[in-house]
Amino acid sequence: MILVQLVNGLMEGMMLFLIASGLTLIFGVSRIINFAHGSLYMLGAFLTWQLVPLLAPGTVAGFFGAVLLSAVLVAVIGTIFEMLILRRIYGADTLMQLIITIALVFILRDAVRTIWGPNSLSVPMPDAMMGALVIGDNFFPIFPFVIFGAGLVVVLAMILVIHFTRAGILLRAATDDRGMASLLGVNEKLVFTLVFAAGCFLAGLAGGMAAPYGDVNYLLDTTVIVSAFIVCVIGGLGNLYGALAGAMVVGVTKAMGVMFFPRLAMVLIFLIMAAVLVARSLGRQAGPAR
Amino acid sequence: MLMKKVAARIVLAAAAAGVAGAAWAEDGPIKVGFVGGLTGACAALVEDELNAVRMGVDELNAAGGILGRQVELVVRDSQTKPDEGAKQSRELIVGEDIDLLTGVCSSSVMLAMTAVSKELKVPFYSAIGSTQKANVEAYQPYFWQVQANATMEAVAAAEYVAKKPEWRRIVPMGFDYEWGHSSVDAFTTHLKKLRPEIEITDPIFPKVGEANMAPYITAALAKQPDAIFAAVFGGGLASLIKQGQGYGMFERSNLVTLLTVDALQSMGDAMPKERVFGVARAPFFAIEDSEDARAFIAHYRSKYGEYPTDWSINGYDGLMFYAAAAEAAGSVEPDALMKAVHEITFDGLRGNALKVRAFDGQMNAPSYVGEVSFEDGYDFAIMKNVEVYAGEALMWPEETIQAARDAAK
Repeated sequence: MILVQLVNGLMEGMMLFLIASGLTLIFGVSRIINFAHGSLYMLGAFLTWQLVPLLAPGTVAGFFGAVLLSAVLVAVIGTIFEMLILRRIYGADTLMQLIITIALVFILRDAVRTIWGPNSLSVPMPDAMMGALVIGDNFFPIFPFVIFGAGLVVVLAMILVIHFTRAGILLRAATDDRGMASLLGVNEKLVFTLVFAAGCFLAGLAGGMAAPYGDVNYLLDTTVIVSAFIVCVIGGLGNLYGALAGAMVVGVTKAMGVMFFPRLAMVLIFLIMAAVLVARSLGRQAGPAR
Repeated sequence: MLMKKVAARIVLAAAAAGVAGAAWAEDGPIKVGFVGGLTGACAALVEDELNAVRMGVDELNAAGGILGRQVELVVRDSQTKPDEGAKQSRELIVGEDIDLLTGVCSSSVMLAMTAVSKELKVPFYSAIGSTQKANVEAYQPYFWQVQANATMEAVAAAEYVAKKPEWRRIVPMGFDYEWGHSSVDAFTTHLKKLRPEIEITDPIFPKVGEANMAPYITAALAKQPDAIFAAVFGGGLASLIKQGQGYGMFERSNLVTLLTVDALQSMGDAMPKERVFGVARAPFFAIEDSEDARAFIAHYRSKYGEYPTDWSINGYDGLMFYAAAAEAAGSVEPDALMKAVHEITFDGLRGNALKVRAFDGQMNAPSYVGEVSFEDGYDFAIMKNVEVYAGEALMWPEETIQAARDAAK
């Protein structure tokens, strides 16, 4: 049972990472705290619900096709938002940025409610991904494994892009020192837009992939954004590998907490978060989250 | 600045006193104030109730209104927030002279609104919100409840579980807040009384709205239960059922949980074929023996293109009960009306002889428990072999309530 619970924790960690990675990526480059990240996740889930029956319902290909397409649509919507509005306020103070992204939270929530209504929707799980691997007395559900695998693919793709492509170099340069990168002739505008689009893509992807595992409703946005922020705080906002570590720590701590200290499971996570914050302020000030 | 505030308070207090003391309008329309969570966590439920209330108001008006007066519905959004619900209620009472307040869904908003109803002496009933606090610690004489409250539902679940002798070990689970805890307590206490030998493990409390139930499912199944009782709803319930299938929950155990029609609909095909048992407030498929109920269901479907949910049926029954009480009282003046509320016997969609007790405002409303099953003609699972538990058997006796009130003081 401990093994099952450990696996549960890693699965949840991977899901959390997919959500948090986009948030942290955007912050790393543009220093924008995108409160609407959870809303984009929600949008991805709703679009997946809409697209699955249109493609090939019940099949694995149909499901992932719908998820990818949803993520692309979310990225397009995000890009439009970035180019029309966000681009104008990069220099503005944090409060201004918060208000703008929170406005987007409300706009997307009301739009989703108007289009799909307030009732919860359910995305069917592909037939091949239902059921479980039974090893001895332990059940390992297949769906989370597939999601975990898909998450690993995303992580690898991100590492490859960041370390081995020109876009990755530009991204690292902009994260490291925005001013210097700009002085050296990096097209800052383009980098910001691309990074924002990539972050939105990840949010949409996570929303779509998680959709069959729970229900899809227009309140997902706020549910998700809180966990994403916890992960980012533990890992250091702007630090991708930190987010990966933070997500795994949160996932495993929660699962083990539920098993061994059921009344403390949630408290444990916040204790870790508090400890990290204290430790970071005691240690070097110039961490990745400046 | 301070003076201004004080002056404003005096004006407000005077306005409030004016309303409370004023003679109740005996002509013009009867105004029903509907303050519901049209946005926020309650939106889907409140929309169903409001649909049925609109339909009920139209029917009443077509038949000549209440006491010969037309009924006017005034709707406000509480945003599912207690302070907003209280504010909107106050504004409707002071500004619109409403005769009745209803529409409430969330427990916390319900407690805020019952306080306003008490202060300004305006009759108030609930058809979705179901915290027992409103009947016990926070009870006030202008409140009544037209459905089984949360504790009664948990007691009905315990009655049902007790009748399954093959279930020997039960894991209770509930959302980690007032409702989840009080449901688990009421279920555990009642089941222990009915079957002292049954083993009930330590409860598991996931946080409200938890989307990833996997760790809780694993922890519950580790105790090898014959059944899991889960006081969860909405997204958490959907996650529990969908994710539970991957852990063999419905091969290795059974699930007893709240399943209103909206939940059955949103689960669709994802519902397991068997081993799920639902507790419901007013499932349309369990009341179809009554001709009135059949007519209501048909009318509702033709008007809104979907089956009425528990919230629609209770909302309609609630409004019709108010109309019957007002007719019996011959007036909508609050004290006369409340006297009738506590005296009349009402035949509603959910059955006959429904009455409201005077000392806690609780209606003897039934609870429904049955086996989830896919039947021909529906594109979602319904329930078969539904047992109906009469409200009387589920309600706490007066002594118990008095003791709880004394303990809360």
